[in-house]
Amino acid sequence: MNAATQPRPQAPRDEAYNFAYLDEQTKRMIRRGLLKAVAIPGYQVPFGGREMPLPYGWGTGGMQLTAAILGAEDVLKVIDQGADDTTNAVSIRRFFARTAGVATTERTPEATIIQTRHRIPETPLHADQIMVYQVPIPEPLRFIEPSETETRTMHALNDYGVMHVKLYEDIATFGHIATAYAYPVTVDERYVMDPSPIPKFDNPKLDMSPALMLFGAGREKRLYAVPPFTRVTSLDFEDHPFDVQKWEHNCAICGSHESFLDELILDDQGTQSFVCSDTDYCAQRVSQGRAVQ
Amino acid sequence: MSTSLATESLPASLLQPAFADPVLDAQRSFRAALKALAGPGVAQSLLATQTPPHLEGLAAASHALCLALLDIDTPLWLAPKFDTQAIRANLTFHCGCPIVSDRQNARFALLDDSQLHDLSGFDLGNDRYPDQSCTLLVQLPSLQGGTQLAWRGPGIESKNHVSLPLQEAFWQERESRNDFPRGIDVFFVAGSELLGLPRSTQVAFKPQTSKGAA
Repeated sequence: MNAATQPRPQAPRDEAYNFAYLDEQTKRMIRRGLLKAVAIPGYQVPFGGREMPLPYGWGTGGMQLTAAILGAEDVLKVIDQGADDTTNAVSIRRFFARTAGVATTERTPEATIIQTRHRIPETPLHADQIMVYQVPIPEPLRFIEPSETETRTMHALNDYGVMHVKLYEDIATFGHIATAYAYPVTVDERYVMDPSPIPKFDNPKLDMSPALMLFGAGREKRLYAVPPFTRVTSLDFEDHPFDVQKWEHNCAICGSHESFLDELILDDQGTQSFVCSDTDYCAQRVSQGRAVQ
Repeated sequence: MSTSLATESLPASLLQPAFADPVLDAQRSFRAALKALAGPGVAQSLLATQTPPHLEGLAAASHALCLALLDIDTPLWLAPKFDTQAIRANLTFHCGCPIVSDRQNARFALLDDSQLHDLSGFDLGNDRYPDQSCTLLVQLPSLQGGTQLAWRGPGIESKNHVSLPLQEAFWQERESRNDFPRGIDVFFVAGSELLGLPRSTQVAFKPQTSKGAA
């Protein structure tokens, strides 16, 4: 199931493209945006998103950020829902191996840049790593207020009461906060931010992380950032404090009880099995002899 | 807006090469700037092999940041010290950036330490678009030697002690213009080193005895 986990050596770059595909002026525009995003944690910087050679929704925002920051010495890891071996992850990894000739890896600690769709790795990140998140809808207020003019004013005025109303409606309907992914957070006590559709299980990993977090939305043409060691708090209520998902099961492959588990349906009778969503974490535990049985 | 793109009037003999590898050297300079801004107060160094050839009046890191970040979309304001024919000719040629005489129109500004008591006129962005503010590149003789101050905020685990050689007037000026999310972001540059000071960083510059901590 898991392919070789050693870093893949640098392949020769396809000289038909500029390094990492994007032209230099586009990279400069994105880079200036990234500097402002880091200076204003959680604020959404508009940028002139380019058309990428794949459709919106496949990570065009994340790819543009990766292209703008990527250098020849970087080691790139790409995950999709935690897995290194899914279509989206494999294609994006191959894209940058071809256009930038960079080394790629599936090992979290070896990567300098990790582009991700919908997960943060289980293995703790370190200070020399940059996480790049693919974001479908960057505006946390969008489902409540469809107008960009209005949401921008709400951010400007620090007017986020409506966000709590949404969470309260969850409690009124279901008895608990039913939002399980893209759970809104407050960054450094100012901007309310959509952490991208990561499960709320991963929200605590954003708080005071030693790694720099960059978020890119290609269709919406917004980028934002959480610098290292920044306070990121999930919205909640005193009597309904924020809580992460828990499972009664262990991973069927590595036996982990700490990681985020995916449910697998094995047959027509609905027999369930649970496995780690982070394939590298799972494979490492197996290689350390933690396999079940 | 008085823009000058009059490269024709400047002799071509002033022109000199920029980055040896325009793509990767610009990327390395940008990553140093990103790291500096994401870790305020910690100096980042550029390797000699990644910086452009010496341009009279500009530190290696100032020159590298200009080449990495400026282009036709970024009007640049030059402090009088940097407003030389050689700097004008090379930056307009290699970056294509308009050089403006009006601080309000600048997206980037290149300053020396004689300018730091007055930061008026620079765009601080607005509450809806705080990212539209001007970024200051401040060239100093050194990044050390001043009063040690404690910096806190995003990018800093607990606090960083930084002793930039700056007068208190600069810190007062910065505080009076920082109205988060509006504000100014600064890169301090000396030689081939750079150090970031984003608007989000809180600097305790006042003596403990005075009322109202920063």
